[in-house]
Amino acid sequence: MRPMPSRRRRLLVGLMLGLLLVLAFIGLRAYLRSPSRGLPYGDSFAKGSADEWKAFGGTWELVNGVMRNDSDERGAKLLTGSPFWHNYSIEADVYLLGISGDAGLVIRSSDEEEGVNSYSGYYAGIRTHDNTLVLGRAEHGWMEVNKQSPTLGSVRPFQWYHLKLLAFDCQIVASVTAPSQTTPTSLGITDQDCIRSGRVGLRSYSSGGIWRNVVVHSLTNENMVEVLRSPAGHRPSELINTAVQPMELAEPRLALRHETETAGANASVRSIESLHLASFAQPEIVTIRGVVVLTTPMLFVQDSTGGVYIPQPTAPLLKVGDEVEVKGEVHPSDFSPTMQHASVQILWERAPVPPVAVTASQASTGKYDATFIEVHGRLVAKEHGPDNTLILDLDEGPQSFRAIMNPGRGDYLFRRLKLNSSLRLRGICVVDPAFTNNLTSFVLLLRSNEDLEVLAGPPWWSAEHVIVIVVAALLLALVFNFVYHRIAHWRLQGVLEERQRLAHEMHDTLAQSFAGIGFQLQAIRNRIPGDNPVVLQQLDLASNLVRHSHEEARRSIATLRPESLESEDLLSALEHCARRMVEGGSVQVVAETEGDQRSVPLRITDALYRIGQEAIANAVRHANPTVLTIRLQYGENMACLQIEDDGAGFVQGNGLSGFGIRGMRRRAQSISAKFQIESTPVKGTRIQICAPLPPRVTLTNWPKLFWRYTREHWIDVRPSKHADSRSYRR
Amino acid sequence: MSDLRNMPIRVLIVDDHPVVLAGLTSMLGTQTGIEVVGSACGGEEALEMLRVRQADLLLLDLRMPGMSGIDTLHALKRAKINIRVIILTSFETDEDIYRAVQAGAQGYLLKDAPQSDMIDAIQAVHAGKRYFPRHIAARLAERMMRTNLTARELEVLQMLARGLTNKQIGSALDISDNTVRNHVNSIIEKLEVSDRTEAATTAIHRGIIEVHS
Repeated sequence: MRPMPSRRRRLLVGLMLGLLLVLAFIGLRAYLRSPSRGLPYGDSFAKGSADEWKAFGGTWELVNGVMRNDSDERGAKLLTGSPFWHNYSIEADVYLLGISGDAGLVIRSSDEEEGVNSYSGYYAGIRTHDNTLVLGRAEHGWMEVNKQSPTLGSVRPFQWYHLKLLAFDCQIVASVTAPSQTTPTSLGITDQDCIRSGRVGLRSYSSGGIWRNVVVHSLTNENMVEVLRSPAGHRPSELINTAVQPMELAEPRLALRHETETAGANASVRSIESLHLASFAQPEIVTIRGVVVLTTPMLFVQDSTGGVYIPQPTAPLLKVGDEVEVKGEVHPSDFSPTMQHASVQILWERAPVPPVAVTASQASTGKYDATFIEVHGRLVAKEHGPDNTLILDLDEGPQSFRAIMNPGRGDYLFRRLKLNSSLRLRGICVVDPAFTNNLTSFVLLLRSNEDLEVLAGPPWWSAEHVIVIVVAALLLALVFNFVYHRIAHWRLQGVLEERQRLAHEMHDTLAQSFAGIGFQLQAIRNRIPGDNPVVLQQLDLASNLVRHSHEEARRSIATLRPESLESEDLLSALEHCARRMVEGGSVQVVAETEGDQRSVPLRITDALYRIGQEAIANAVRHANPTVLTIRLQYGENMACLQIEDDGAGFVQGNGLSGFGIRGMRRRAQSISAKFQIESTPVKGTRIQICAPLPPRVTLTNWPKLFWRYTREHWIDVRPSKHADSRSYRR
Repeated sequence: MSDLRNMPIRVLIVDDHPVVLAGLTSMLGTQTGIEVVGSACGGEEALEMLRVRQADLLLLDLRMPGMSGIDTLHALKRAKINIRVIILTSFETDEDIYRAVQAGAQGYLLKDAPQSDMIDAIQAVHAGKRYFPRHIAARLAERMMRTNLTARELEVLQMLARGLTNKQIGSALDISDNTVRNHVNSIIEKLEVSDRTEAATTAIHRGIIEVHS
């Protein structure tokens, strides 16, 4: 009766918990997929933080509180936000760094990869070469509409434009306000089968760019109507079927480069390698041509023969990848020359040069000084250097080196870098002691945090992990031990309950029947006249047998009662029993134990207890002893019980005592115990039962036991006992 | 026989086992001087019978479904039925014997006792004596002496019997009087008494403690 409500309650509680869990999951999912989670958003570039942005290509960096991409890469992207944003607007100030490219904003972007149009989403930007506001849809391909306008005028680099991009259902509207203008130029499309949701991003194409004041707002229908109603707004119906034209911008630029190359071919340009030969005494004015590989913190230019460091140049705004002509005073140093008082002129823009892959040992020779290289290394330490630079100490084999990162967007990555990670780094190799402090053989100046790639985290087997594992294993072992003992306890509890039930059953049936039959026999005996001695004798024997059986049943019941063996050990239980039987008499009871006491299975304890009880009862009742000794000996895999008295003894195989002994012998057989009885008339009786115990599992012998178990159960399916019985049969 | 008017002893047997009832009735029926006036298979039935029938002695089993032997003894006391009782059972735990005697049984016999013992017991108890076989008497005495009081409780009990208050006991044993009160409550519960005075008298009576004046 009782466990039912508690079980039902437990079930109910479980169900409630499950329901709660499901609700929590649904809630969390709804929250995560909410189309306005995290909106409105405003950047924190001014505070020097851009952890939430993820770059795809380009050299994105925070410089003086603005986000800057110095690379002319086509389609460099920087993204943030939730992929579930749906109706919203993004606006920002955009500043173009190149004369033939475009820069702008991305909306509803997803599925991004590095590459020109490798994303799904809408892009709006300002383009220099045709002076347009451009709006289009990228889906690993590109379709666009564009618009020139008098208010926009000609699109020029190096000035701030305010760009706004809105998406409401399938209407996408872009507007741009030129500097010193108040009227925006707008452009919109109604895209059937539009992209419904996605993140926001900054993007540039063939030109560097700078972005600031990025703000994202969620959008309602009213906002959209307002935008559309504004005087400069457009009516989307006009644009519904606007023909979109595929664009390819690379061609004119190639032509441009070609012209310039041929134009400059006859100038007296030297290779960088040849500058090594410059005289120390008389600085020589030379002209070189190369590609900009690093602009901040200092300018490095590289050509196919080597690199050169140009301190404090007279130069326009330079971007990584610009092909430049440098004219200046050569100062050779140990490894690479520097060019002082140099003036730099941009020839054209081109894609940044790829790095030279070298080993740290090769880089340490100085051969690659001032060159853009790629090395591998294991992170040994990280620290903050002067001017908030981030310093990484690495080594590759025996060679150690140092890498310096600019702060800003690198902070987040820097914080997450784990010691002992394996990294791939790209940067400008510098062997100048001003950087190395003569501590490492070279220093790598990283351009942005895209130059750092984690190849593999720290090796898993660190001391920390080992400790965690050991602790976890210990905890697990403890839990296992606890559970094991709980289960063992439950099992024992079950066994004891069953025994109690059995005891009650026996009490109510067997014992009472014996009692009744005994009384009945007595009644018969009372009525038989005294002249029939044979019948009387047989009736007496029957009465005795019934009484003996009754006693046995009573003893069985007593043994089955859980408290009999639970609370005391076998020896004290027997001693208790003996003392009870000899109460009031003059028999001395001696109980002693030998060997290491150990736990004995309940089955064996029971049997020993019952045999002991019987033996003690026999001794007390029939032998009339003065001393009764109960001895329990524990051996390696044996438990022996000895009951010894100095009483009358008996001749074996006689009447009732024979009946009792047969019972004991049968009980001993049931636990495969050896039963011995020695009785000498007048001298006394000694009964010994030796029961084999299951081998004890200890710290030292468990492999042996395990082997034996395996051999007996898995390898040798015929234990030696079988072989014996076969030979007997023969 | 001890009866002056030579009237047989009227015995009522209460046992839930028909085999036992039948056997006992047969056996006692053969004895002169004993008359089995009825047999009941439960406490309620016995009480019912005693209202209409006269009996001198009750042979009462301890373990019965529903109303147990001890319950029956209590019920007899409550109904103010004055009858002598011998417990006849196949069990002999200390607690059974003790509780039966506490409830007012005058004799205690095991069902496998020989006939002669049973006759002796009936006659003795009828004559106003008590009858306990030697080993049962010994165990009863032991149970009476033994208490499951802790050492601290015994100390408290000693002082309680000398008439000290909780506060005094507390200061003597260097414990708070709240703790003393807990001990006293535990003692009262273990001795199955109703208050501290009774606890003291019972303890002295049972020889659990000795009081030196």
